[in-house]
Amino acid sequence: MDVVSTTRPPMSTAPTLARRLNEWGLLLGLIGAVIGFIAGYALGSGAISNFYGGGGEPTSLGSDPGILLGYAMSALGFLTGMGFLNYPIGRLLGVKRPTEEDNAYLHGEGGGLGRYFRMTTDHKVIGMQYMVMILAFLFIGGLGAMFIRTELLTPVPSVANAQSYLTLVGLHSTLMIFMASAAIIGPFGNYFVPIMIGTRNMAFPRLEALTFWLLPPAGLILLSTVFLGGFTTGWTGYAPLADQNVLGMDSYLMGFALIGLSIGLSGLNMIATILTKRAPGMPLSRMPIFVWSVLVTSFLGALASPALIAAVLMEMFSRTYQATFFIPAGGGSPYLWENLFWFFGHPEVYIFVVPAFGLIMEMLPVFTRKPLWGYRVGVGGMVGVGLLSFVVWQHHLFTSGLAPSLRPFYMFSTEMISVPTGIIYLVSLGTLWRARTRFSTPMLFIFAFFFNFLIGGFTGVFLSDVPSDFSLHASYFVQAHFHYTIMGGEVFALMGAIVYYLPKMTGRTMDIKLLRYQFWAVFITFNGTFISLIAVGILGMPRRAISYAAYLQPLNDSASIFALALGLSMALFLGILIWEVVIKQRVAALNPWESLGVEWQVPTPVPMFNFDRLPVSWSLPYDYDTGKPAADFGPAVPALSGA
Amino acid sequence: MRNRATATRVVLIVWLVVAVVGDVALAFGPIPPGQASDLASSESLVILLLAEIAWPVFSGVLAALFFTLVINRMAPPTAEVSADALRGNTRVQTIWIATTLVIVLSLAVYGTVALAIDQPGAGISTTSASLPAPASQDQPLEVQVIAQQWWFTYRYPTYGGIETAQLVLPVNQKIQFHITSLDVIHAFWFFALGVKADAVPLNDNVVTATPTEIGTYRVQCSELCGLWHGNMADNTAMVVSTSDFAAWIQQQTALDGPIMKYLPPYSHTYTGTNLPQPGVYAP
Repeated sequence: MDVVSTTRPPMSTAPTLARRLNEWGLLLGLIGAVIGFIAGYALGSGAISNFYGGGGEPTSLGSDPGILLGYAMSALGFLTGMGFLNYPIGRLLGVKRPTEEDNAYLHGEGGGLGRYFRMTTDHKVIGMQYMVMILAFLFIGGLGAMFIRTELLTPVPSVANAQSYLTLVGLHSTLMIFMASAAIIGPFGNYFVPIMIGTRNMAFPRLEALTFWLLPPAGLILLSTVFLGGFTTGWTGYAPLADQNVLGMDSYLMGFALIGLSIGLSGLNMIATILTKRAPGMPLSRMPIFVWSVLVTSFLGALASPALIAAVLMEMFSRTYQATFFIPAGGGSPYLWENLFWFFGHPEVYIFVVPAFGLIMEMLPVFTRKPLWGYRVGVGGMVGVGLLSFVVWQHHLFTSGLAPSLRPFYMFSTEMISVPTGIIYLVSLGTLWRARTRFSTPMLFIFAFFFNFLIGGFTGVFLSDVPSDFSLHASYFVQAHFHYTIMGGEVFALMGAIVYYLPKMTGRTMDIKLLRYQFWAVFITFNGTFISLIAVGILGMPRRAISYAAYLQPLNDSASIFALALGLSMALFLGILIWEVVIKQRVAALNPWESLGVEWQVPTPVPMFNFDRLPVSWSLPYDYDTGKPAADFGPAVPALSGA
Repeated sequence: MRNRATATRVVLIVWLVVAVVGDVALAFGPIPPGQASDLASSESLVILLLAEIAWPVFSGVLAALFFTLVINRMAPPTAEVSADALRGNTRVQTIWIATTLVIVLSLAVYGTVALAIDQPGAGISTTSASLPAPASQDQPLEVQVIAQQWWFTYRYPTYGGIETAQLVLPVNQKIQFHITSLDVIHAFWFFALGVKADAVPLNDNVVTATPTEIGTYRVQCSELCGLWHGNMADNTAMVVSTSDFAAWIQQQTALDGPIMKYLPPYSHTYTGTNLPQPGVYAP
């Protein structure tokens, strides 16, 4: 049942130049990337390094200026080829505006699989693109984790050497950070926010497409580090170790710069969309709670990512222009990197988890058949988390020696975070209170989220308190803590949301009975892994160490065996997903969870511009007591604002 | 409804038992990092207290989740809509937020007090003078920890600034660690003493602790510092009696004698040599 928008006459057969360019975008993009890399590499290593004689010690693989300029121009070439500059340059040169047909084509009209492989301004296509990309990142990053745990079966180096081990640690962590910053806001934020707020597209659709198409170059550039010797700094990239590193460090820096750009631009687009494009009758106080979580997250991304971009640019300058921002002997300070990095890094972890809060609270009323309990206080909780997240970053530096007199403040502000996160639990408990809960598979993932995130939160208390942090800092306790929040929290919410939203996004569903076994496997192995690692950390094992004290081996082995089983269970999820949705194509019901959400009332597949007439919002979509729809989908007077 | 009341009581009792048994077990169990120094004892105490508070709350939230999910729910859905339309309750919300705030504030106050007692004068120091020889055990003995890729060396300024590869400390003597680095950021982690402090080039990070138990311990680097970070560990750090310490110092002074003139004069920070210098590209 293909629903085609009826507002436009069928397309003419003769495509314009703009459309042709768009059609071949991915190929042109790849050509652009190659040309860009060669040109940048030649310019960087030839003209800058060697011609002026300042080239330091170029290795057989090149020099930092060559690699960095190559990466930058390759990303630029890729995006140019994809067609991101067509519109601005066309406008600059005064070329005729793209026709309505060009724009419709850009939006994905005509359908087909091809639109997923080119620059598309349809937020639903972009959501699906994000989904595939983050699953790919999750898979590759997960493989890295399996290698790490295999290596840690023995207390001395076994399958890896020190350099490849640290590169694996760096790749796993950085790739997972890339994945986690977009895991929920990318697929579900892009796909559902415009539908939930009742509009036809984003405020900046081209910018939205750009935020996605920055991910493939970022991921590939990061992975290319294996050809350049890898990097030994982990995802935190501390200087001056970063200044010591070989060329592989440049991959980390450029990859992170592109991801930072993507996070920031995505934030700006979402903020503009949510603040300006809501359906008539939808004040901020009537927005679905998931949209609120996206709004909070977007502010975090837009405000925090500039600090990251500044930091990696400074490090790039250090490695090329001899700017010694972080080298004490040159008048710099390693603390500068730590502060810039964590000023981004702490809001970043809430960029991971606040959308998960939103999703959980969005799904709970559906499965409890009750209104969301305490909507306003829930929104307040997420806003509170967002505000606090900017004033806690020094807790990553409690042992650094920095500003001891400020430690009590940062201890206080960090502990304060448990108040707004506690509110999320209160809202959830209130919603579950005397409910007719349906124990469906997404609901299982929601419970797991509460359980895991509770452990994540309580381990966080020990790290926020300075005296106990002195013992636990930089140990596996920290590692287990953030895996409990990011993997146990965000990734479990992501898996639940995939099961929940897949019927709407693809019109297909997974075998939710089979998924129950997968759920218990992944839940048990996850907890087995990270409870072992909490114990390892309390007993004094530092993170990122390839060798450890012999007395820690039993616990490490337990973690490793659980982790390998966890990897299999995660792969099983991916396997079921691919088997059921791509191969078997099990058809889903139109609204399998009987949700009142606006996103479930539009047809599947969602029409090109979502709504023929913009809906008029009546209420929050949680009125399960009366079953009252959230919006008027066929208002007598067409709403004023257009696409 | 009678069954529900009974089940509610069962959950409450189970929670109480779990909470009490857990807390009692925690109180009697060994809490890392242990009692080998005043600092470690204080950290263990903080960890224990946090755990004592956290465990009942943690199990309580789980019990509440279990209660709402399994016991306090309506019959399986028969109708399309639910009978209960609770949309919020200001009193419950206020009580919840107030309770969490009180817990958090008391934790923060306690942590601040513990910090003030444990760590006076901790953190980056800018003094260049080293401490005089301690006249009593309450006056600190200065010991410098120099981190570099990938080992630690130690200097004892009160004993002529001798440099050693092994860390040996006198028991029951207040030690003031001065931690610095020659190249990248490291962290000095003496787990048993509860000492963990970053070693930052050209910075002097100070931590004070009094070892109270004689023994042989492990020290290791806890900040990723490059290739052999995982092997930057040493199982031979020792806390010894005062007389053993004096003998060890004598022995080390004799060993160091011929090379003392090559050592840089004792200082709280040193300019490293194996860092990229200004004017030179990173490799």
